[in-house]
Amino acid sequence: MFDITGKRFWFFLISAVVIVIGIISLASFGRLKLGVEFSSGSMMRVSFEQPVAQEELRDELVSLGYTDVIIQSTREGDFYIRTHKLSEDEKAGLQHALTDRFGEVQETEFYSVSPWVATETANNAAIAVAVAAVGILLYITWAFRRMPKPFRYGICAIVALVHDVLVALGIFSILGSILGWEINLMFITGILAVIGYSVNNTVVIFDRIRENLARGISSNFEVVVNNSLVETLSRSLNTSLTTIVVVVALLLFVGASIQNFAVVLLIGIIAGTYSSLYIAPLLLVVWEKGEWGRFVKWLAPSRSQS
Amino acid sequence: MLRRNTLVFIIVVIIFAIALCVVFPVEKGILGGKDMRLGLDLVGGSHLVYQAQFPEGATGEDKARAMDRTLETIRTRIDKYGVTEPIIQSQEGDRVLVQLPGFTDIEEAKKLVEQTGFLEFREVELNQGGNPVYLGDYLENSNPEFFNDGVEGSRIFVGEGVDGKHYPVVFLVKDEAGNLSYRDEADNSIDVEELKQIEAEIKAQLVSGSAALLSWIPARGDEGTQLTGNFLAEATPMVATKPTGAEFQVGIKWNEEGGVIFDQVAKRLYNSGQYGTPQRALGIFLDNVLLSFPQILESAYHGEGVITGNFTMAETERLANLLESGALPMPLEKPPLYEEVISATLGAGFIDKSVKAGLIGIILIMLFMIIYYRLPGVLASLALIFYGAVVLAIFKLVPVTLTLAGIGGFVLSIGMAVDANVLIFERMKEELRAGRTLGAAIEAGFNRAWAAIRDSNITTFIICGILYWLGSNIVASAPVMGFALTLFFGVAVSMFTAIVVTRTLLRLFVGSRLAQKTSLFRVYSGRDNV
Repeated sequence: MFDITGKRFWFFLISAVVIVIGIISLASFGRLKLGVEFSSGSMMRVSFEQPVAQEELRDELVSLGYTDVIIQSTREGDFYIRTHKLSEDEKAGLQHALTDRFGEVQETEFYSVSPWVATETANNAAIAVAVAAVGILLYITWAFRRMPKPFRYGICAIVALVHDVLVALGIFSILGSILGWEINLMFITGILAVIGYSVNNTVVIFDRIRENLARGISSNFEVVVNNSLVETLSRSLNTSLTTIVVVVALLLFVGASIQNFAVVLLIGIIAGTYSSLYIAPLLLVVWEKGEWGRFVKWLAPSRSQS
Repeated sequence: MLRRNTLVFIIVVIIFAIALCVVFPVEKGILGGKDMRLGLDLVGGSHLVYQAQFPEGATGEDKARAMDRTLETIRTRIDKYGVTEPIIQSQEGDRVLVQLPGFTDIEEAKKLVEQTGFLEFREVELNQGGNPVYLGDYLENSNPEFFNDGVEGSRIFVGEGVDGKHYPVVFLVKDEAGNLSYRDEADNSIDVEELKQIEAEIKAQLVSGSAALLSWIPARGDEGTQLTGNFLAEATPMVATKPTGAEFQVGIKWNEEGGVIFDQVAKRLYNSGQYGTPQRALGIFLDNVLLSFPQILESAYHGEGVITGNFTMAETERLANLLESGALPMPLEKPPLYEEVISATLGAGFIDKSVKAGLIGIILIMLFMIIYYRLPGVLASLALIFYGAVVLAIFKLVPVTLTLAGIGGFVLSIGMAVDANVLIFERMKEELRAGRTLGAAIEAGFNRAWAAIRDSNITTFIICGILYWLGSNIVASAPVMGFALTLFFGVAVSMFTAIVVTRTLLRLFVGSRLAQKTSLFRVYSGRDNV
């Protein structure tokens, strides 16, 4: 039988490394760029008859005075052009200029958000994420109310959830700085879906711990957790695999419009599977044993070894 | 026990059959007559959100009434354009949301919605050449003859600039000493020099035909009621053949009261210009823009008339539509808070692609389940087909507006739908390994897995609820709402499928000879690797 709980500090270290890299990225080169939904402005998707290079398009737009323009290309050869909020005249002028320069151009998508609405959307999205976290904490505490210290289960599930969100944000910021992706509403939807998915997985494992504790398979909490993890391992991996399969299908076939969503889901599901196996239950063990100090001690020599 | 199971099986088959009928209606109109409701991002169309500008001091009740009337008016206007299933609703009580599937000319859509549609008739002062008199004429040439004591009320110049910039309304009044003075709405006098500046500023940005700076008084009936579009009974686009070519105009019919007032006004205008009074024409103003100023050539019209102007055919159609649907009780702030337009071709591409993604996802999952779990995998695959049909049927019946994000939610829920099955099968394998009989293993597997399935899915429901709340509180709501709804229904149906359908199918097999082969359940006595 695998010994998962015994390697708990290794698992924490792996997560910490990924999250620290993500945070470094978030704080420096990979600052998350807010989409028009959250920061106002106009977004236009254009498709040209003739192939147009992104650089040419950028030069043209800059020469038209759109120095702050953000251009993103799609796999289909279209471009998303993001500018400040365009007035009707500006929009018509822009279309005209693009037609003059690059020939036939089709605007297949356009949206424009006023600053006030953008602030409101951002606030509501933040509230939604916060309420989701609190709601889940309360629910898990309630669902495990018959266990000793049910609050711990809730807290550990929330830590796993924050872990997943941090990993998703960090990796997204690295991808974003390379590919120019922005945080849009689909991204937030994806984050909330990840939260749901991550907790879903965690609860399945917690549930098995609850059952095994009730059956009294061992007086050692660590052994109970380890058994529960091993017993649910194939279920966890199979479910993640099937979900990843459909998300990859979504990413490959549907493309640009829900690319942010699908990528966040993909990262989140992988992170969520990891955290529900190796973070949430192992934190319970660490907490039960009151060995936070040991982790720090363990960390010091392990770094000097490597 | 077995008999009860057969009954459940029959019910499941019936549900499946109904779902199939809904999803693929053989004959339209029975159950699934209407097609799947698709969101704007899939069929293309326009999405607009406006901030309503309630008059100051309006009470909550006033606002609610004005909002209802506004939505109704916009709906009437849009209905005449034959847009299928437009969505016109208020958001948080002070915003108007308009979604027009398939309507991709967003500028036209904006005109249709934004235009207040307030039709007013005013008596416009004409000079000797038969042209309207402007504020400038008074300012440059302070000839008091323009102003006539014989006319009740003062001249009004409304200086409404373009781009929604407001200038003061200017009244010209004659004091007791016979001197002209300019006053604003609060009856403060305005300095002539200052007025000249304002006039120059407005003039510089005037579009032709704008009513700004015109000299006019409201056209009132003998009892003082102003003639407005509210008295219209009918408006129809018409073509008149003139020597200069076809002229597009809008024929109007007054209601009874309007007909009387109109004739009173017409009579007065018909007689104007005599005995040194200023000559006046009937100015027709739509949202403060002068459409035309026909001279009144008859003293009575008996309830009918035409509105002429430099119209194209499309414009007369829109105008007639606008007049018939009535004026908005309050203006909407321009530009809209949020606007979005998606071309239909882009949307159609998405549908094909998502169907492809969904199918490939389902097939891969089935293959995986069958290879990994053998017989239960086959049964789970059957359950998955049941699941897909039922979810799609629910989407159609509720109906859930399917957006791109909604499809994402559906596809994701396929992945998660398998989860309940996986949980149960893993449990069954454990029970089989522990030496139970197949029947007992199935029951134990389901019973033990139930707590995990329930608790884990409730967390997903919590998330769906929060997403739904988020969606109903933000302007660009479609993707979030679509995802929340499809995920919710998806997870709910997946629970039912796993607990009821898969279990029923498995129980059917318990008694059969197939059940003797434990290899079909992938439980080997010796080489168990888990």
